[in-house]
Amino acid sequence: MASVRELRDRIRSLKNTQQITKAMKQVAAAKIRRAEIARKRALPYAQTLAEMLRDLVAAVSVVDHPFMKAGKGTPPGVILMAADKGLAGAFNSNVTRMGEMYAHEHSGTRFYSVGIKARNAVRRMGIPDHPNWALNAPKLETARAVAARVTQDFTEGTIGEIVLVSSKLVSMMSQRPQTRSLVPIVADELRTSAGERSGPRGAVEFLPSPEFVLSALLPKYLEFTLYSAMLETDASFFAAQLIAMSNATDNANKAIDELTIQMNNARQAAITKELLEIVAGAEALSG
Amino acid sequence: MNAVPFKLISPIEIVFEGEAELVIVVTTEGEEGVLPQHAPLLAALRPGVLRANVRRESTTQRLELATGAGFIQALPDRITVLVDEAFRFEDVDIAKTREELAQAQAAQDRTTAEFAQAKLRLTGHSN
Repeated sequence: MASVRELRDRIRSLKNTQQITKAMKQVAAAKIRRAEIARKRALPYAQTLAEMLRDLVAAVSVVDHPFMKAGKGTPPGVILMAADKGLAGAFNSNVTRMGEMYAHEHSGTRFYSVGIKARNAVRRMGIPDHPNWALNAPKLETARAVAARVTQDFTEGTIGEIVLVSSKLVSMMSQRPQTRSLVPIVADELRTSAGERSGPRGAVEFLPSPEFVLSALLPKYLEFTLYSAMLETDASFFAAQLIAMSNATDNANKAIDELTIQMNNARQAAITKELLEIVAGAEALSG
Repeated sequence: MNAVPFKLISPIEIVFEGEAELVIVVTTEGEEGVLPQHAPLLAALRPGVLRANVRRESTTQRLELATGAGFIQALPDRITVLVDEAFRFEDVDIAKTREELAQAQAAQDRTTAEFAQAKLRLTGHSN
């Protein structure tokens, strides 16, 4: 059995760890709130943009824009989005594993990474040099830079498809990685969802022309989809971290309880042993 | 005068939400004034000044902002403007912004000079 002093040391170190996990849990809770506010603020823009795009696609019969056509015979480009930091359970590895699986199924996949953990994962796959950005607190400029880069590679024909692997915030308790194809944009899908939503609006006038507005809107749409995904990944990360840290705190509590019982037993055993020795000694003298 | 719901939205916030009697935007084709009951319109905007007569507590007020590129969607019963960025005239600290502009200009000049010099050093080493 471990000595009282050993047990006391272990309990002390566990308590220290527990304080750290507790603090991280509180920080994560505060940051979730911030991330959720940022997400809510971005929502009106996203909705209006989607609505405009639906109107446009419904009005333009033949959509002639590079984003509407898949590049043939060229590998897909995957934007892998994860957090900058760890200590959030399996959050980062869940996302990066999905990216890795995609690369297994599609040969020659080119990676773009957002978030330091995503960058490290891509490097571990044996691709040291690839375009990468940090997630930080998601900024629109980062989304713009990513969009500009993938658009350039797409129009030059280096990649034939733009795919996004990021985390979806199902609820505060559950985050799931998901794979989405961003470009080419399927016009028919937009048309059918337009029919359900608003019905015919009558003739819409486009200035200067539907084609021009569309070619200005599509890059914005890509930019903003990336920005929303970054905000969602950020919120998911803190949700995952909150759960991980809350579990860690609970586990530490359990371990502390067990060790405390062990320590008490050990101390009692030591006292009993000493008493027995004293009694035995006294009896030997008197006898 | 009639008024319709008017929303000015940037990616990070709703800049303005209320009732407008008139919205003037700078489209890629020039300035465009939009009144209530406008026929459906979707236009691309270039960076410029957005002006609007908005209703606040039954009085009409002028709203003026510097806006980035974006789009305007006018429907008979509402007007929505999406822009990359928007700054209210009264929120701009002129002295501070001038200074920032000067600094950015200086940084740009420096980069241009470095670029020209590096290019010069590589002259004759091409291929």
